[in-house]
Order: sequence, then structure tokens, then C-alpha cells
Amino acid sequence: MNGFKKISLTALTLILSASLSACGNSNSNSQATTSSDKSGTDKSVKITLLNSKGEIQTQLEDAAKSFHEAYPDITLEIQQVPSGTSPFERASTLYASGNQPTMIMLDTGDVAKFKDHILELGDEKWNGDAIDSALDLTTIDGKNYAFPLAVEGYGLIYNKQVLDKAVGGNFDPASINTTSALEELFKKIEASGKKALTISPMDWSLGAHYLPLAYGGQSKDSTEVSGFIDSLKAGTADLSSNKVFNGLMDTFDVMMKYNMDQASPLSPTYEKGPELLGKGEVGIWFMGNWAWPQISGFDTADKQYGFLPVPISNNPDDYGNAQISAAVSKRIVVDKEKTTPEQQAAAKKFFDWIVYDQAGQEFLVNKANIVPAFKNITMETPDPLGKSIQAYLAAGNVEPSLSDLPADHWTKVGASMQKYLSKAGDRATLAKEIGDYWKKVK
Amino acid sequence: MIGEKGFWNRLRVRLLFTGPTLFAFLTVMIIPFIYGIYLTFTSWDGISVAHPLVGFKNYGSVFADSEFWSSFGLTLKYVLFTVVLTNVLAFLLAYALTKSVKGQNVFRAGFFMPNLVGGIVLGFIWQFIFNNVLVYLGQKASIGIFSASWLADPDKAFWTLVIVTIWQYAGYMMVIYVAGLTGVPADIQEAASIDGANSWQKLIRMTIPMMVPSFIVCLFLSLQRGFMVYDLNLTLTKGGPFGSTQLVSMHVYQKAFLSRDYGVGQAEAFVLFLLVAVITLLQVYFSKKMEVEA
Repeated sequence: MNGFKKISLTALTLILSASLSACGNSNSNSQATTSSDKSGTDKSVKITLLNSKGEIQTQLEDAAKSFHEAYPDITLEIQQVPSGTSPFERASTLYASGNQPTMIMLDTGDVAKFKDHILELGDEKWNGDAIDSALDLTTIDGKNYAFPLAVEGYGLIYNKQVLDKAVGGNFDPASINTTSALEELFKKIEASGKKALTISPMDWSLGAHYLPLAYGGQSKDSTEVSGFIDSLKAGTADLSSNKVFNGLMDTFDVMMKYNMDQASPLSPTYEKGPELLGKGEVGIWFMGNWAWPQISGFDTADKQYGFLPVPISNNPDDYGNAQISAAVSKRIVVDKEKTTPEQQAAAKKFFDWIVYDQAGQEFLVNKANIVPAFKNITMETPDPLGKSIQAYLAAGNVEPSLSDLPADHWTKVGASMQKYLSKAGDRATLAKEIGDYWKKVK
Repeated sequence: MIGEKGFWNRLRVRLLFTGPTLFAFLTVMIIPFIYGIYLTFTSWDGISVAHPLVGFKNYGSVFADSEFWSSFGLTLKYVLFTVVLTNVLAFLLAYALTKSVKGQNVFRAGFFMPNLVGGIVLGFIWQFIFNNVLVYLGQKASIGIFSASWLADPDKAFWTLVIVTIWQYAGYMMVIYVAGLTGVPADIQEAASIDGANSWQKLIRMTIPMMVPSFIVCLFLSLQRGFMVYDLNLTLTKGGPFGSTQLVSMHVYQKAFLSRDYGVGQAEAFVLFLLVAVITLLQVYFSKKMEVEA
């Protein structure tokens, strides 16, 4: 019996210590120990990037391979945010479980929340080559915390072939600068036997893209726009009598009138949009340049697509009638809690590789079809929607997208917009619900 | 071995057998639960390093959050319909499949099958059916009720959730009822027949009372699943159209991770835990009283 006792005691100690040490490892420094073990032997570093731009997953994986060829001692692994999950959700759960990746691709508005966990990148060379005001929203107390990856823009995407036929000649996008001109165009498209447009009813499209035009269109001056947002929070702004909001919703009314899914406006899925536009069944779709890979899969118009602004009045000179909305939408940040100095250096090398290396630029512009946020990259993007954005940028006709709205803005306000779209609520209800939402924002 | 002398000897032996399980239970259940309760007293946003303590303010916000209570109300409605309909259907299926039906094993397997599909996949499949297949059929054959997507209408979207839930769980509950039905002793049935009871009387007076343990289990399972449903809600309707089918788990999740109000979200989760615990305990307590011995 004595012998058995000893055995059982040893077994117990073994089991407990094994489970304890396993736990301790995963909680604190497994990543650090494994990587330092590796760097001790063959100096290789493994870094990870959490990708929240699902449409470029394969391109990023290829980029990771060519980056590895350029720097054989660095291995880059690309992880993916599941579709339908916001990057913030995924990143915060990864932080909570202690499995944070080296680099995280976040939406602009999320960067400030991660301030305590991420590395300052303000001293990197590429800061000097970024396009104007690209770093403003991620600069906190004078220090930039994020790498601007992509400029994205949105508006009314048109299929030039359909529109050429409808107007009987060469369609000029500059001719659409008022609500009535847009309605005229819808009529012509329908007269030519095609459907005028499709409205994709996703809450993010209506709540994070369409409605914010009403905020951003208030003024050219960004301080006035943020002043307007402040007055919404304070409850002093009256949306129902606001000129820009009403103008934008008047345009929405016109869009609803010519919407091909009027019978059941909430039925269409996102996947239907690129198919209808690419096959030339509709002339116009409200969406952004990220939809190009899907549109190109159905392309019948020989890559001739572009953006029209969403008009907000019948005066062609009003701000917003010639502008499309665009801004730096995706940023990459570097974790500083678990990453080793070697991993941090490797991550910084990856940024330099994207901005200054031929292969990196090639990946960014030609493979991933991204409109770069850097002045030194002169390559023209091959995708027609990116080209259209670059043209608007060059002409100075860009209205900054409001990419730092509160995180739940798109679900809450998007739901109100869906209600309006399905005629379950009128404009007064919409204005009231938007006003109520903002009053609750802290 | 449990007869070991002395407190320490006994503790050592017990730890040897229960220690690993106890350790796992503590680290993955109890400690996170207590830590979660601690977080309800903070205004943490889910990511920042600081956890500012705010006392009971978050619980105040829970009671002031009208959306939480309306989604809870919707969940009650959902639970009511799914629990009743799932169990009625499951019992009928089980009753039919314990009588001598040809190929009953095939039917049993077939009805059980939906349970093997994960909730996420299932949601996407049914979303496709409701959005595309039924709409296509409805438009081709001009069946008015299917001509527009059910998921685009607040009331019909709610019923899609109920229908898919019943489809998924009825087979599982059926298996439990089949086990209960085959457990009813044949001799008392026979005795009842000799006494002149018809099959309806036998079902109501004998079979159902004998099956109370099965009902307890099935009601408990379907109640708990109904309150906690999230996967199907997310993939089938995403809470839409315009937030009208957002059940309470989804609301709590969105509060914590989307509105970045982790403290309030966690407090809502705790309140939900208490409510569901009370409801299910009451159900088990009262139905236990109805158990009978053969």
C-alpha cells in the first residue's frame, strides 16, 4: 500500500504540474519563447497578419510568399477575419485570449481604441510619403499608430456600355450633377430596355456609406463636419429640416422609384449586385471600388465602369454634387505586447517592402487592385473603379468618407434606413431615429 | 481506497481522481464566470488596458436599455413557439415511429439528421432556400406567399426562425421520446387493454404520465436552446430586416462587441443568465412533481 501511495502522489504531482505549466505557457509567453528559441538557432522570425479585407486573402498569401523570398529569414502568415465579423470584434477576442497576431488590419475608427496595445509607427520613412491627411485620423498626441493600406471610395457605379446605349452616344459622367439629371438618366436607361438600378439593402451599405454622405456633405471644411456631428450628439441639430439630409433623401426617393426590386426591396443580397451590373442588366449600383473583383467576374462591358457622385440638390454647384466619397479605409497596426523586437522589426520591413519594393507595389496595385495611400507609388491601378477614384482624387473632387463613426452606427442607423427603404417608416421617422441614435452615443 | 485514514490521505486520493477535472472546470467555467461578474462593475470597452470601476451603473443601464427588453420579449415569444411546436411534433413523430411503421429506422435517422448539421451551415442553407429557391418557385408558379423573400418581412422572418428551429430540433427530441415510449412497460398496457381501454385512453392515462421524465429532459433542452440561440439567428436573418428579429443573445453580443460597451453587455448577459436559470429551474421543479411510478 505504501508503494501505491507513492506512485499515486507522483502521478498527481505530474498531472497537476503538467496542466499548470501548459496553462502558464499559453497565458503569458508561449509566442515569445517559441520565437526566441527559433531566433536562437536559425534567426528566423515568424510574424502573422490578421486580414480583414477578405477579397484580397489570396493576393495577400501570395504577397507573403514573395516577401519571404525577399527576406528568407522572415515568415509571414496571413490569418483571416471571418466574413460578417468586424475586425474590431475579431481583434478584441484575439487579445482577450492572448493570441494576438503581430499585425492587425483594422478599420480607421478602431485604431484609437487599440492605442494601449500597439506600436507607434510615426518614425517610419513611409510617413513622409503618405498622401495628404491620410494619417490624421490615426495620429494620437502627435504620434502616428497605423500604416495606411488602402484608399477606398464609393458612389453610384455605372456600367458604361448600358449608359452609352441609353444616352445614345458617349456617356459623360460629369453630366450627372443634380438629382433631376440623375432621374433623367434613370428614365433613359429604362427606355433603352434595361433596369435603371439596383439598391443593395445591407445595413452597412446604407448605414455606413449612403447616409454618412449627409454628414460629410454638410461642408467642405472638416471642422464644420465634426461640429455637425457634435450637434447631433448634443441633440441640437434638426435633421428633418436639414438641407443636405433632405437633398440626399430626395435622391434616395428617386433611386427607390427606379429600383428594380421595388416589390421586395430588402430581398436582394450583396452577391446579386455585381452580377446584375457586370452582365449589364442594370445601369447603376450604389457600392464601392472593393466590389471590382466580383464585378469583373461577370464583366460584359469591357472593363468600362466608373463612379457617379450621389447628387444632393438640383444646383450643380453645391458641394457633394461633383464629389465622390473616398478615404483611407484599412490600416495595419503592430502589436507591442507579445511581439519580440525581432518581430516588430520584421513587421516594419513588411511595410517598407509594400511601399518601396517593386514587388510590394506590384502586389498592392496590380494584384490586390488597391488604390495606394502613398504619393511615391505612381503605378496606375488596372481596375476601372480604382482608376475612377484616382481621377476624382487628381481633380480634387473627393469628399472625405466618415471612417471614424461610432462602431454601432451602421447596424443601428442602417436598420432605420432599411425601414425607410421598405416603406415601413417615412422620412420623419428616419430623421427621428437617427437623431435618437446620436443622442445615445457617448 | 476511500476508506483511507486521515484527512490528508483522503484528500490526496480524491484529488488524484477529481483533481484534473476540477482544475479544468475551475479554469474554464468558474473563474471566467466570476471574472465576468467583476467586469459588469466596470466600464471596460473590450480592449483598453484600464477597467474603470463604475459600481452598479451598468445594471441600471440594463434596465434602461429598452432594446434589451424588447429583444428579450421577442425571445420569449420565440421560445414559446419553438418549445411547444418542437415537442408536439417530436412526440407525434416518436409515437408514429414506435408503432409498426415500415422502414421506421430510416425515418428515425432521417428526422434526426438535421441535428448533425451545425447551426451556422444550417442557417446559410435555409437562407438560400428562403431567399432564392422559394422565391424562384413562388414567382414561376405564382404562389403569392412565396413571391417575395420571407426574410425581408419582419413577421415572416420571425417564422422562418421558428420553422428552421423546429426542423432542426424535433428529430433530436424525437429520439428521447422514442426511448421514453419503448420504456413504458408492456404488461400494464396489456392489462389496460384487457380492462377495455382504447388506445386514446391508454395514451392519455398511461403512456404520457409514464413519460414525464422524457418530457422534463426535452422541455429543459428546448427551453435552454431557445433562450441561448445565436448561430441560427446570425446566419439566417442577421437580426434583420431592420433589427426586427434580433434575439436576446445577439443583442447582448452586439452590445459588448459592436457598441463596445463591454460592461453593459456583460451585465446584460448576467441578467439573462439569472432569468434563464430561474425559468429552467422552475420548469424542472414543477415537472418533477408530476412524475409517477409504474
